[in-house]
Amino acid sequence: MTEAIDITNLNYRRNTKQILTNVTLQLNPGKIVGLLGENGAGKTTLMRLIAGLAKGEKGTIAVHGQTTAATRRAFVSFSEALQGFRPGDKLSQIRDFYALAYPDFSAKKYLDLITFLQIDDDQKLATLSKGTREKFIIALTLSREAAVYLLDEPFSGIDSMSRKRIISSIIRWKQDSATMVISDHYVSEIAALLDEVVIIKDHTICTHKRSDQIRREFGLGIEAFYESVYEGDISDDQF
Amino acid sequence: MLFDDKVPIYYQIKNYLYHRIVAGDLQLGDKLPAVRQLAVDLTVNVNTVQRALREMIAEGYIVPQRGRGNFVTADAAKITTLKHELLRTYSQAFYRQLHALKLSDTEILQAIETYIEKRRDADD
Repeated sequence: MTEAIDITNLNYRRNTKQILTNVTLQLNPGKIVGLLGENGAGKTTLMRLIAGLAKGEKGTIAVHGQTTAATRRAFVSFSEALQGFRPGDKLSQIRDFYALAYPDFSAKKYLDLITFLQIDDDQKLATLSKGTREKFIIALTLSREAAVYLLDEPFSGIDSMSRKRIISSIIRWKQDSATMVISDHYVSEIAALLDEVVIIKDHTICTHKRSDQIRREFGLGIEAFYESVYEGDISDDQF
Repeated sequence: MLFDDKVPIYYQIKNYLYHRIVAGDLQLGDKLPAVRQLAVDLTVNVNTVQRALREMIAEGYIVPQRGRGNFVTADAAKITTLKHELLRTYSQAFYRQLHALKLSDTEILQAIETYIEKRRDADD
């Protein structure tokens, strides 16, 4: 079986700064994976590289066997921050852009999602609250029928009702065969959702485990395990 | 539903469904909600629900019917076994805790009898 994501010896520098060092990671299709790490650990960079949006890496990144940035983009739906759009753009115009740019964009899924997430797409981008903006990004990202979804900190700074709706829409609309990576530095709300956990520390992946393995072997919750790893209570040789 | 993050989630889903079956919320031969619906209701991953159901099917408490979904077993004896098993698990935990306090078996029995009597009085 081809892995959904297969990364070997990935190194990435920006200017003179080392961002990622010797990253190797395999993820199977159909999994929901938590990518955990402190701010600046390299989570967003790793996602942008997988999505084919950042360039200049050393090593290989394959998404369902596709190794070039351009071909990977067709397989990966990444929760982009909508920076390329103007404040005066209506959400429906952004939807039209997505429908043109991505052949796998499903108008029906989009409609179901914005209805469920209670978004009025007649609004202008600049008028959105932080929570609504994040919900809209999720709606766009999940509207693609992609093989891999990368959600970059979808819950940061938003109210708990929006958070619950986003979590629910993930459960409702992720196809069984699709792989989803969710990055965060605060996990307790999504812990029950994660099949696996990947922790990034000091610019590399320091552990990758199944959630049940963490609960069984360490007797810890996901949040507690993550904190123990960061604080060095669990040393490398215990993995 | 609130989960204990230290315990595998599939295991807690199994327990939740066992409770509903023994309590009669889910009756003999009842159809279970669809896998995705259960996942949405419990706010968990579809894969985790599938794992819980797979184990319950292997244990014979749930019977899958091709194309129709999953059903609670129609075998009443199976449910009785399940009830006894839950009873044994809880009794064991209860007994161990009191035993750890160095209570004798007689004291433990007395304590539970007194408690039940008091409850009965409070209910009257």
